[in-house]
Amino acid sequence: MEFVKIPLDRILQKMADHAEKMQDRLQKAKDVLLGSLDTEIATTPCEILYEEDRVRLKHYKPLSSTGPTLKTPLLVVYALVNRETLLDLQPGRSAVQNLVKEGLDVYMIDWGYATRKDRYLTIDDHVSGFMNNIVDFIRRRHRLPGINLMGVCMGGTFSIMYAALYPQKIKNLITTVTPSNFDTDKGLLHIWAKGIDADRITEAYGNIPGDMLNIAFLLLNPARLMIDKYVGFMENVDNKTFVENFVRMERWIFDSPDIPGETFRQFIKDCYQRNLLIQGKLKLGGRRVDLQKITMPLLNIYGRYDHLVPPEACELLTQRVGSKDVEDVRLDTGHIGIYVSSKSQKELVPKIGRWLRERDKVAREGRKKKDSAAPGTARKVTRQTKPPSARGQKGTAEGKENTRAGE
Amino acid sequence: MKEDEQKAGPEALSPAWLRAAADFWGIMAKMAQGEAPPGKASSSQEDARPPTPEWGQSALEKWPFLSFLMQTAPVSPDSFLQGMETLPEVFLKMARLGWEGYFRLQQQWLEQIDKVGQGAEAAKSDIFGRDTLKAWTEIYGQNFRQVLSLPQLGLARVYQEKLAQATGAFSLFQEAMAEFMQVLYLPVETSLEVMKARLEELGREGNLSDDFKDYYDMWIKILEGHYMTLLKAPGYLDSLGNILIASGNFKVARQELLDDILKTLQIPTYKDLDELGKEIYRLKKKVFAKSGKKVEKPND
Repeated sequence: MEFVKIPLDRILQKMADHAEKMQDRLQKAKDVLLGSLDTEIATTPCEILYEEDRVRLKHYKPLSSTGPTLKTPLLVVYALVNRETLLDLQPGRSAVQNLVKEGLDVYMIDWGYATRKDRYLTIDDHVSGFMNNIVDFIRRRHRLPGINLMGVCMGGTFSIMYAALYPQKIKNLITTVTPSNFDTDKGLLHIWAKGIDADRITEAYGNIPGDMLNIAFLLLNPARLMIDKYVGFMENVDNKTFVENFVRMERWIFDSPDIPGETFRQFIKDCYQRNLLIQGKLKLGGRRVDLQKITMPLLNIYGRYDHLVPPEACELLTQRVGSKDVEDVRLDTGHIGIYVSSKSQKELVPKIGRWLRERDKVAREGRKKKDSAAPGTARKVTRQTKPPSARGQKGTAEGKENTRAGE
Repeated sequence: MKEDEQKAGPEALSPAWLRAAADFWGIMAKMAQGEAPPGKASSSQEDARPPTPEWGQSALEKWPFLSFLMQTAPVSPDSFLQGMETLPEVFLKMARLGWEGYFRLQQQWLEQIDKVGQGAEAAKSDIFGRDTLKAWTEIYGQNFRQVLSLPQLGLARVYQEKLAQATGAFSLFQEAMAEFMQVLYLPVETSLEVMKARLEELGREGNLSDDFKDYYDMWIKILEGHYMTLLKAPGYLDSLGNILIASGNFKVARQELLDDILKTLQIPTYKDLDELGKEIYRLKKKVFAKSGKKVEKPND
């Protein structure tokens, strides 16, 4: 056997130096951890304007100091997985706060925590029930025929369904990291979901426990999410800002409401296993979800390094809808980073603000000139061209985005 | 030494233990009948009196009720004591199965210990007890599952059956969990081996770092790569499917058992609540459809 000569003396010396630093770090860490930490999430002021069962509607007033506001309000629909607080994780890095600063009148659905009695709620109950009631409520409140709709992840899928079923109520549609084509083996969730016996799981559990989902998400990258993440925490345990951001992210990640059983069953079977949505074959409450009915402007934003909803699951949508004004935007980020990374904060929200403002302007001008053409006539695809090597290996970028708050 | 250990296996040891256990239960039964334990012959008049202790008396008094419940046992105290003498046999049979299983497991462990030092390959196959798990699965399948699936009789049949089902489902869940954890551990094992080879290579090239963090970073990248391969592999997907089904089955079996207890206490079960929930859900839909209105609580 060949023996490798390891510079043991130098390693030991390093370890001794490291031990000294560690001692110092632990002393500081003690002060940080025992001191007062600001780890609150979802701190942007809002009011609850509507409640129905477990569901609430949050309203964020536009800031008058930031210039003219858009006439049409924006409704944000988050996923049933985890909570909408991701969009308002911390001051300075809050997508909601930035949308408000952009002059948008923002409403956001808080799906709440499903209880045992919610196990029979289907996708249709969420889309044609809760969502439709909320859209009607906002339309009445603003005396408008249609509002702007923005969906996040599974909430984006719901938004696509809603826009196809009620196109007259939606003026502009924005989908962010939204799966619409489930027939791909690029993301682990897509691979796993294909083999799941959704019937058996739903029968056994009723609602799908949030902790089961938490475990599934940890298993997407055990090396980073179970080991490296906490090694990183220990390395920065003496940094108050880092600790605060880390704890905020932990609070959000493990705040997972249960998913209503029937909704889970239908989402897995009809979407992940049969891929009915993109084919225009999905039925909700007996009505077909026809993507050709989506004729309003569509902005489709997704992350190049998204390991949960890979680009392949997102980019087909703009080709299948009936709208002529569509735009794909691929950002160099991942599923969570798109809302929380400082880089994305400078890209995502300003882009949404610009895009909506352009359409608001076009719509107003359109009303003045009755003969004006529909906004935009060509499909547009905006893609960032930065090479992946600039962010390191794909796996690394994906893994880290969930691990370290604020990255 | 190995031979001795094998001789002291289940064939040699369990009869001795079983005899001792049987003697104990026999003595207990005789004491209850008023006989003195062997080696302690009664000498005085006082000793000759039936020394049935209070607990025995109380048990004898309650026996008619118990026998009524079981519907099979005789009512007389003598028959009860005979029954008590047969009870140990049931325990002994179960214990024997346990002993056999234990010895088989022990043999597996001993074989593994023998393999230590026979090179990385041997250790690789056993380090996390893959063979042990297989052995346990075999033992459980051959012995315990059979005992648990014995047909139950009498008034309490349904409850006993549910208990056995829950126990069986729990064991299968444990088995699936152990298998899943083992699969999940594979990348750790492999990454350590790759790391070793990488270190040897770096050593040969004279590029070894003196910063421990470099080695950690290298290892975590390798580990991540192996996980990415594993998490798409058919073996992992099977294991994941198994654990989901097994945990679901256990949850259902446990719930049925719990429901029986709740029923006895006249507390609504989950099943009752689910039925009620479904009823309300349907009613709500009907009301919405007929009224065309939505139940909402506007605050403005």
